[in-house]
Amino acid sequence: MVVPFASAALVTAEPGPQTATTPSAERIDFMANVPAPGAFPGKWICGSPSCMDNHDPPVQVHWYNEHTAFLRQNKAYSYEAPFMHLYFGNDRILMLDQGFTTLRTDWALRDVVDDCIGKWCLRHGRRVENMELLLAFSHLHSDHYAALNQFIDRPNTRCMGLTHEEMVGFWGMTNYPEERVALDLGGRNILIWGSPGHVISEFAYYDTSTQILYTGDMFYRGRCYISFWDKWFDSMTRLIDFADTHPVAHVVGCHVEISRTGEDYPYGVTYQPDEAPMQLTVAELRKAYEVAKTVTRPGIYFTGSVFLCNQTRGTTTSDTNPYAYS
Amino acid sequence: MPQSQYDPTLSGNQQSATSPQYPNGNPDASYNPATARNTDSCVPIHNTGEVVHNYSSNGPAPGKIAFRWLYGSNVAALNRDPRIQAVQYNEDTYILRQNVCVHWEAPFTYLLFGNAGALLIDSGATPQSAYYPLRDTVDQIITRWSQIRRRKSVPLTVVMTSGEDIAQNQGLGQFTGRTATTLAPKALAEMKRFYNLGNSWPSGTARIDLGDRIVEVIPTPGAHKDGITFYDPYNDFLHTGDLIFPGKINISNDTDYVASLQRLKHWEETHPVKWVMGGHIEMQFVPGKAYPRFATYKPYERLLQLEPVLLNDALTAARDVVGKQMAMVRPDFVLLNGVSPDQKTSVFPSGVPNINAPRPF
Repeated sequence: MVVPFASAALVTAEPGPQTATTPSAERIDFMANVPAPGAFPGKWICGSPSCMDNHDPPVQVHWYNEHTAFLRQNKAYSYEAPFMHLYFGNDRILMLDQGFTTLRTDWALRDVVDDCIGKWCLRHGRRVENMELLLAFSHLHSDHYAALNQFIDRPNTRCMGLTHEEMVGFWGMTNYPEERVALDLGGRNILIWGSPGHVISEFAYYDTSTQILYTGDMFYRGRCYISFWDKWFDSMTRLIDFADTHPVAHVVGCHVEISRTGEDYPYGVTYQPDEAPMQLTVAELRKAYEVAKTVTRPGIYFTGSVFLCNQTRGTTTSDTNPYAYS
Repeated sequence: MPQSQYDPTLSGNQQSATSPQYPNGNPDASYNPATARNTDSCVPIHNTGEVVHNYSSNGPAPGKIAFRWLYGSNVAALNRDPRIQAVQYNEDTYILRQNVCVHWEAPFTYLLFGNAGALLIDSGATPQSAYYPLRDTVDQIITRWSQIRRRKSVPLTVVMTSGEDIAQNQGLGQFTGRTATTLAPKALAEMKRFYNLGNSWPSGTARIDLGDRIVEVIPTPGAHKDGITFYDPYNDFLHTGDLIFPGKINISNDTDYVASLQRLKHWEETHPVKWVMGGHIEMQFVPGKAYPRFATYKPYERLLQLEPVLLNDALTAARDVVGKQMAMVRPDFVLLNGVSPDQKTSVFPSGVPNINAPRPF
């Protein structure tokens, strides 16, 4: 005998398309005033001279605007100190990147995200359980997905897989990296396309509401370790073409590794007291592209805002032995 | 099959540092070894008056590093280990290590006692006593030692294997104004005057008399232009700082570096040396593999002590890199000459097992 899954008592009086909203909540118009204004903090948490004396939270939560949050992991919890994004729509929430921690007992990114979602739902009359959470990441490196397993018992949550196939499949792509798809969060579209070069499996994400372009580790204010120059250059060309045809408010990456005076913070440091802003301008992206056009050999090239590390090994830094003498 | 250049026992890479060859004692060894007399003044029969210790011995004074060094934690901010791990090597020798979650260099500091005073070799990487209470720790050990030996006053001398090394000179300021305390100057010229080596640097030697324990001062520039090695004839230790230690050694002047290693080699041939004791550990307990710079979690560290025969390997390797900009991997250390402190190489020494220890995750 087949039993219907939903008993009659659970069926609402007015059957219709299920939405995340409570009866009182209004649909938010994310595109009413684009680019949706927002602000980055003047200074992010950036570690401390002694890691074990660091009293900052494990992750800094910054609300760029009412519907967009950026998270930054504490350098004393991981030197990578990656940034994470939360984009809220009427029906879904997209989280880009899951930090560099695995165990909820080390620190619970899951709880921080649940808290953000809970607050947003409270502010906007939504039920948490009705909002689908999508966990995706920029690329296939562990400092961008390490906390994934903290979410696998979370209801109404979908996680991107940890293979190239699952990543491309997650966005329904059949023509990576050229194909550009649109993810509808409910009145807020995220445009997604391939951006290989740092690694093969990387995506660019563009939020149509804030008009923020997220370029992961292939372009950020620091040492862009370019493993595959030709693929990276093609990805840069795609970014430039996109910026030619779409308004871009900010270009943001996963890390900051440069001081405001252009000092290269060496790979692995846990204290960056004078960090430059995380966000980059389209002009800085274009400048890097112009520099990249002149690059023909492996090496480190400074564009004024980022280091293009062409086929250097993954942890190259530009500092020298300070004690050398002749 | 090529002859292996790697001897796990020599490299201090026994499967477990706490698993000695004779866990329950060697039945063939003497019940009454000669060196036992070096400890005979530790607990006096009559508990009155100053205890004068006998620092002369045939062979190295008995002593043991019986404990594993602290190795940080995956999340450095959550580390709750002691800020300084203090280990008694023997009753007149203490090894202090800075917690790697306070500073990634995790330097070692050595506190030596003689009948006339104490010597602190190096001062750590962090100036703030709240983060790194070196002064307090040293004061407490000195107080305890002075009670054991019934001393009213124990003069302290603080010296450095390199005055310019910010991984070893930062704690010096904590001792400013301390009574009965002499601080070695940081600047090279003043330091030479301090040891009366102005005219004989780097070929001469100087002495620090702790009272029946005369520590020799051997100029060993190369990793630092003001590098010094201290030889302790009681434990038969060479305290080498950054010159030679199980880690990534940044050569700052290759000619000086080879000359200093030659000087140490000659010293080792003419004086008893039990162990070469450096200022840091960066190697893993698998041969030829170092932890990355700035790491705050090093669960698979190599032992601190280097067997003196490894000076031969160091000298050979140092001669090989002279005049070249390169990194050279050896089982117990990595030499970096004229390259970035982050330089890596794909060249791994032949005959050495190439093992990768697991990552934290």
